[in-house]
Amino acid sequence: MSATDPAPSGLSVLRTPLREVGGAQTLAGLRSALAWLEANQQEINDLNVYPVPDGDTGSNMYLTLRSAVEEAQHAPTPDAIDSVMAAAAHGSLMGARGNSGVILSQILRGLAQGLTGQTTVDAKGVARALTEASAVAYRAVMKPTEGTILTVIREAATAATAAAAESDDLRVVLQRVVQESHAAVERTIDQLAVLREAGVVDAGGFGLAVILEGFTRTISDADDRPPATAGQARRGEPQVRLPYGEEKQSPGVALHGRRGAAAVAPTDEGWGYCTEFLLTGKSLDVDAIREDLAKLGESALVVGDERLIRVHIHTGDPAVLIAAAAQKGRMSKLKVEDMSAQHHEVLARAGAPQAAPRAEPKPLGVVSVAPGGGFRDILQSLGSDAVVLGGQTMNPSIEDLLNAVRDAHSEAVIILPNNGNVILTAQQVDELATDCDVRVVPTRNVPQGISALLAYDQSAGVEVNYERMHDAMQTVRGVEITRAVRDSNADGHDIKEGDVIAIVDDRISQVGSEYLPVIEAVLAAEERPPELITIYHGDVVSEDEANALAQKLRESHPGTEVEVHEGGQEHYPYVLSLE
Amino acid sequence: MIHVVTDSTSDLPQVEAHSLGVTVVPLTVRFGEEQFTDGIEMDSDTFYERLRKTNVHPTTSQPTPEQFADAFRPLLERDDDQVVSLHISAKLSGTLQSAHIAAKEFPPDRIHLVDTETASAGIQLLVRAALDDIAAGLDAQAVARKAMERRERVTIYVLLDTLTYLQRGGRIGRAQATLGSLLNVKPLLTVVEGEVAPKARVRSRRQGLEKIVELLRDLLPLRGLAAFHCGAPELLPLLSNQLKALVPDVKILFGQVGPVVGAYAGPGGIGIAALGAD
Repeated sequence: MSATDPAPSGLSVLRTPLREVGGAQTLAGLRSALAWLEANQQEINDLNVYPVPDGDTGSNMYLTLRSAVEEAQHAPTPDAIDSVMAAAAHGSLMGARGNSGVILSQILRGLAQGLTGQTTVDAKGVARALTEASAVAYRAVMKPTEGTILTVIREAATAATAAAAESDDLRVVLQRVVQESHAAVERTIDQLAVLREAGVVDAGGFGLAVILEGFTRTISDADDRPPATAGQARRGEPQVRLPYGEEKQSPGVALHGRRGAAAVAPTDEGWGYCTEFLLTGKSLDVDAIREDLAKLGESALVVGDERLIRVHIHTGDPAVLIAAAAQKGRMSKLKVEDMSAQHHEVLARAGAPQAAPRAEPKPLGVVSVAPGGGFRDILQSLGSDAVVLGGQTMNPSIEDLLNAVRDAHSEAVIILPNNGNVILTAQQVDELATDCDVRVVPTRNVPQGISALLAYDQSAGVEVNYERMHDAMQTVRGVEITRAVRDSNADGHDIKEGDVIAIVDDRISQVGSEYLPVIEAVLAAEERPPELITIYHGDVVSEDEANALAQKLRESHPGTEVEVHEGGQEHYPYVLSLE
Repeated sequence: MIHVVTDSTSDLPQVEAHSLGVTVVPLTVRFGEEQFTDGIEMDSDTFYERLRKTNVHPTTSQPTPEQFADAFRPLLERDDDQVVSLHISAKLSGTLQSAHIAAKEFPPDRIHLVDTETASAGIQLLVRAALDDIAAGLDAQAVARKAMERRERVTIYVLLDTLTYLQRGGRIGRAQATLGSLLNVKPLLTVVEGEVAPKARVRSRRQGLEKIVELLRDLLPLRGLAAFHCGAPELLPLLSNQLKALVPDVKILFGQVGPVVGAYAGPGGIGIAALGAD
């Protein structure tokens, strides 16, 4: 039972019917949705399916929608809904991170497509746009799974269509959408075994329902009814907070300083200062400005429209760039970061030669995602042109990956996402990297990525490498060892908070109280004993502890080589590679 | 009569060379002040034992022109005597240069020098094919020409335990690119146009051996196949059954890489040489 349940049609007869909505109301709706999502972000995060610390669905959706709102605020024609939604869709695509974020960006894109050519939208138009959004979202996912955000958008579209057939009042239609979305969220618990085992609803689906609800709040008359919760049946039910006061929730304020932690660490030229800012004006010429500013640095990303341009450039001399940009328009949100310090440290440790000055793009490059500094150094030493830091709880955005692809300075780039939650994000990059053929070898953990990278042959073409790397990633078994962050029941294991868990092939394979017995149980379950075990220890484990573990494994498995390296990953004390 | 000459980097043991009627000119191996003629004063087992124990990196030197001249002279006593002399890639050793200088002491067309553009068992496969050609009645020039055609079909894959020895010896060539990895990566190397080049990178010996068999499959059909180890005979059985299954009709040569090539490969390596069918 959702709290929005009181029959909306019964209430709406008391109000003036709302027959159409334009750009300004849509922007207000998006802002409200963002504030509502922010208020519920932690609750969405807490809907962890696995008892491992990967609950960042709420944060990912929030960051994605924030990027959408940021762009929508500067839509070229703010009164027209199609202009506002097109800007929002573009913004969400640039900021999308995590699977739910990427799917959300596809939903916004579908809405924008469904609204193309319309200044305002009526009830039937909303139904059509939601239907298009559902179709686009389903197409974006290779294996659509029911019981997820996809189910929720589809049922939202169905509800809109049914409601629009009965009423032309947008309040009625949207309230039905919100109501049915929450009902669909409730049902996810029965649609996916992992959700049923964990006793939770789907986080991404709940996030979407929250967004729809937040949006609808400004369209509907403000009332004091408590906001919907995502249901009572599950354990760990999110406690939905009331939204912040309208005057405090300006997304423009919230946007400052909240950029993701993901950092791009290319190995090629382009070091100096990562300089980012916005340019505002009345008739900015994006192409001309891009051309002028791109000359002053590397990896130039200049996007926007005649009123707002977002600039991201790596330059050796930010003062020159800033002076040049200041003549083009009004500058705001200036951020300059020195990347060289980190870069030189990495190079010194890897013993790599200093990069030569940038020449013509090379035929093929590799971009990989690393969940820690140690992994980054290893991936670079194996030939990855750029490494994006990010992983379990800080998924890189499409833009982070896009920047890394540009840093790789190649005609074709193979991305190694090295995390199941980054694959979908990586798959969106090709579309944005217009001058580069981007392929994704869907590595789900870093050991798979390292195996793929070992098979990489820079002298061969992209097709050959894609095949080889795809094959190679399957020759290794990645094992992730962590501790449960809460009690749960998953993959047939009864897990208590603090238990050591081994995750193999995305499933919980072993549970115990200490690292060594859990690892031994994983090894015992292998068909043939591995010839080589590589231990990558995380930042919560000392090198001495890791070496002691390695020594015990060497003693119990005399035929197996055991290597220890620093992975530097968060949350996972150990990542093991068995081969 | 046509005589076949090679050098000790072919890793053709002296006893076998004698029975085949092949003259092997030895290179020299030095550990510090001590020097030994390859395969004569120092056998492979002694060499690898010493290589494992010492910190002194062995150096090698090509045969002198006099050594070659001394080898050619008795083979060219009769007027119809000719020599086909097959040697290690000129990009890896100056051996062929010495042979070239020595050959100038003899009338032109008596000595046919061949740069095999390969090493070790790769040379041996070409030497044995040349012997077959001679037995089939080809003249010396044709034998040399065929050897030069065949060298295009010689493939070498070597799985080294480490690149250290190759690097120390300055023969790393294009395999340089595989250095600098923070992980312990086993390089699978090949020889391309006479130079050592990387073929693949693997994390374990088992992966490397599987890779070698997989790569060999692309080279079928074969005329000859050899599997050689570097002071690690226990490795050959890991490969032999799969090789036999791959080419049941080819007599596979099993052997050991000698001191000169071993000084660069280092102990613990294993490799194959394959000669594609004519």
